[in-house]
Amino acid sequence: MAVSQVNLRYAMGVNMDQQDIILSAKDIEVKFDLRGQILTAIRGVSLDIYRGETLAIVGESGSGKSVFTKTFNGLLDANGRISEGELLYHGENLAQYKKEKQWLKIRGHEIAMIMQEPMTSLNPLKTIGEQIVEAIRIRDKKLSLQEAKKEALGYLKEVGIKDPERRYGQYPHEFSGGMRQRVVIAIAVACKPKILICDEPTTALDVTIQAQILKVLKEMKEKHSLTIIFITHDLGVVASVADRIAVMYAGDIIEIGMTEEIFFDPRHPYTWALLSSMPQLGIKGEDLFSIQGNPPNLFTEIKGDAFAPRNPHALKIDYQKRPPYFEVSATHKAKTWLLDPRAPKVEKPAGIARLRELKAN
Amino acid sequence: MAALRHKISKKLEDKVSDNITSMSDEELFSFQEYNANESEKTAYSHYSYWRSTLESFKKNKIAVFLVCIVVGILLFTFIQPFLPNQYDPNMVNNDPKTGLQYRNIAPCSKFWFGTNSIGQDLWSRIWTGTKNSLLIGITVACIEALIGIIAGVLWGYVRQLDWFFTEVYNILDNIPQTIVLILISYILKPGVTTLIFAMCLTSWIQMARFIRNQVLIIRDREYNLASRCVGTPTRRIIFKNLLPYLVSVIMLRMALSVPAAIGNEVFITYIGLGLPSDIPSLGRLINEGRELMMSASLRYQLIFPTVVVSIVTISFYIIGNAFSDAADPKNHI
Amino acid sequence: MIKYLAKRMGRSLITLFFIMTLVFILLRLMPIEGYFDNFDKLTEEQIQVGLEGMGLTDPMPVQLVHFFEDLLHGDLGVSRRYRSNVAVTEILASKIPISVQLGSMSILLSLLCGLPMGILMTKNKGKMFDKIGTLFIVFIQAVPAMVYFLFIQLYGTTLLNVPLLFDASNPICWILPVFSMSLGNTAYYGMWLRRYMVDESTKDYVKLAKAKGVSEGQIMVKHIFKNAFVPLIQYLPTSFLNTVIGSIYIESLYSVPGMGGLLVDVIKKNDNNMVQAIVLLYAIVGVIGLLLGDILMTAVDPRISLSKKGGGR
Repeated sequence: MAVSQVNLRYAMGVNMDQQDIILSAKDIEVKFDLRGQILTAIRGVSLDIYRGETLAIVGESGSGKSVFTKTFNGLLDANGRISEGELLYHGENLAQYKKEKQWLKIRGHEIAMIMQEPMTSLNPLKTIGEQIVEAIRIRDKKLSLQEAKKEALGYLKEVGIKDPERRYGQYPHEFSGGMRQRVVIAIAVACKPKILICDEPTTALDVTIQAQILKVLKEMKEKHSLTIIFITHDLGVVASVADRIAVMYAGDIIEIGMTEEIFFDPRHPYTWALLSSMPQLGIKGEDLFSIQGNPPNLFTEIKGDAFAPRNPHALKIDYQKRPPYFEVSATHKAKTWLLDPRAPKVEKPAGIARLRELKAN
Repeated sequence: MAALRHKISKKLEDKVSDNITSMSDEELFSFQEYNANESEKTAYSHYSYWRSTLESFKKNKIAVFLVCIVVGILLFTFIQPFLPNQYDPNMVNNDPKTGLQYRNIAPCSKFWFGTNSIGQDLWSRIWTGTKNSLLIGITVACIEALIGIIAGVLWGYVRQLDWFFTEVYNILDNIPQTIVLILISYILKPGVTTLIFAMCLTSWIQMARFIRNQVLIIRDREYNLASRCVGTPTRRIIFKNLLPYLVSVIMLRMALSVPAAIGNEVFITYIGLGLPSDIPSLGRLINEGRELMMSASLRYQLIFPTVVVSIVTISFYIIGNAFSDAADPKNHI
Repeated sequence: MIKYLAKRMGRSLITLFFIMTLVFILLRLMPIEGYFDNFDKLTEEQIQVGLEGMGLTDPMPVQLVHFFEDLLHGDLGVSRRYRSNVAVTEILASKIPISVQLGSMSILLSLLCGLPMGILMTKNKGKMFDKIGTLFIVFIQAVPAMVYFLFIQLYGTTLLNVPLLFDASNPICWILPVFSMSLGNTAYYGMWLRRYMVDESTKDYVKLAKAKGVSEGQIMVKHIFKNAFVPLIQYLPTSFLNTVIGSIYIESLYSVPGMGGLLVDVIKKNDNNMVQAIVLLYAIVGVIGLLLGDILMTAVDPRISLSKKGGGR
């Protein structure tokens, strides 16, 4: 039994190397110094990101999804640091980067970012034109202002802003939330990045606008052959955009797989709970499922499975030892002792099965 | 079985507790009873606003030290007259042998801080002056806060009054405070009440406006929407939900009002509209010292009061800022 | 824009009218001796005649109307006790130039020192320079200005070997007053610029600029400083005008023949007309300062919608 685990892990590695890995995180650990205490926000996360895919990272607030992706372009807050692990990007280990100068080569032109709050992520005192041109001219310093402006107008058009000539000279407060997010996307695309990190880009927007923004993102991805990392806690959004889903809990990716695998064959009790709490699964007249309890305190060392105290199916070993990845398929793995052959059989919650029915309809 | 266990523990790099080896696989892979309390407990709870405030304030050693200094000075100004061998601050001391005034005596064992140009004991004048100045400052701070809070809460919470207060604010905000100070002191009889009145007359509006803005922000927040729906009376919303949130800034403003009031007193005294001469104050002492400062041997009359005034004002300034930092929930872990 | 300006100016005029009326009425409560240069020697009758001659026995509203009529003709009455029967405007006109010169130089010095101080403190946040700067700011803000003005005068005059009293023709004499006057504004600019810059630097748009690949130096200059300076702009006219009409302390300490020193003199001499004129001047300057501040703000900050402004700032 023990041997098979080793083999599985080995096999996994081989399998994944066959695809084109653009960014590879290995055992990343991120720590923050907070008033004399140390908070371990990311606890040894490994993740390969493939060229051209859309990977969604889901999890509740505080699970470390934003922090994890901020290590990719060196935007951790000043009191945070990568304490362990490697981040391989084009043969360079980004985890070793110390100087701002090194990061300047990565930010924008290699890895760009879209943030959650379109209302605040634009400089209120600069016209949106200036802000796009700024991005263009960093990437291409020789460009004249006139040429840059022409290019900027093109990007505005691409993200679906009507009358770009007029809009170019306007200030952010003259735009609605959805329009601002389009501008932010235009800025990100103007950097001509390889990877685009979208940190909850639709959370602050209302539903109809959300769909439009997702559509713009999809178009941009096709047009500029981007690799997208999509951070969200909204599983509904994930289903429509992601090729692959990584589920984060308490600073660790506890389950990762293709979108269908996560939705229709989830294995980790936390993923079950997360899926069960989707409003789409609610039954009229019944309370919506919600996960009991609170996430663990990351100031203290976590023993065993971080989710165990909130897990109604927790095993004794969950309190003792941190589970390794168990492979479900070549593309799907989860960190839960329930997948150990010695573990008792646990049925998935009934709600999960309804997901399939929902899809069938 | 033992061999297998051995393999597992070796293979997984994670730290292995002693417990695990004493448990069999069967036991390890059995269900742990679900304990709802356990899952709730894990987070960062046990948060008490006031305790956290006090805790973070205590971490600021300088501020704690200065609190001790200020409290010590204030207490001492009350105790000082009752200590043995003290002089009356307003008594002109005469030399019993010659019958002449003890003028400008340098600090000595009889007059610890020396005497001034008409023979009054500087030691007792300084402590009485400090007491008067501090009491004026604290009174001004309290009155400003009281009027400011009441007006601000009404301004923010009662929509019908918004127009009225906004107009009042527009006018008062346009009048420089110096002018009010000068004008009131010029017109009314010099005295403690005049001084306090002049200082409070317009300055409360700033506090009121701050409170009003905060009230507006908080008034429309969802949790108050919730407490409104539940039917909490307005008065309770103001006192339970709004005021504690504002405490940090109110305290900051109050603490800063004290050095400002002391500075204003110095100013008013300097332009000749200050307190009558039988009420010693730090402003009067500095002014008396200033007149003699160009002669090096009498400079002590300037230095003693300026040192005291500096200590007191800087202390209040720093304490105020430290407390406001500590009371800001954003700075609590 | 024009509509807003007209509205805003109208509001200032109303405020000004209100303040003037108030000052005028309050000053009528003053003892009448402030209207005569030789009050003690006059008989009851002479005083009565004098008061009537000045129109001070008329009912208050009539006096007020006269006052505003005269004001519109640029007439602020005559000085009685400070300089007998000299027009107030004439006295003020002779005092203003030196105050303006002194004030302009000090405000320039404050900007030259305060802004770099704020920027450097932000850049070295939590480090030595920041701590020293904070110490300076705390000292200047907390301690009554009189205290450090006196010590600057005391030790500065011996150090530079300049006379205690001001002499406009001697350039060295300008150093201490200008330096002393600039301290308050230097601390003010430094403190607020640092605070605003620290605030700005945590904002989302700075993160986005970083994510675009803008270097930290560029972000500091193009984004953070520019945006942090905007709220300071509103205060600029007020601080400029207040400094320009003279520091009461500095001018009287160094016997500078300017506006600030004048106020102390006329208060000590109980010259009612002069006090009234100077108080009004200060009030006008205060109102104009705020007005200019608001106008400047609308010019630099596109977010301020011109129609909505006007209420509480």
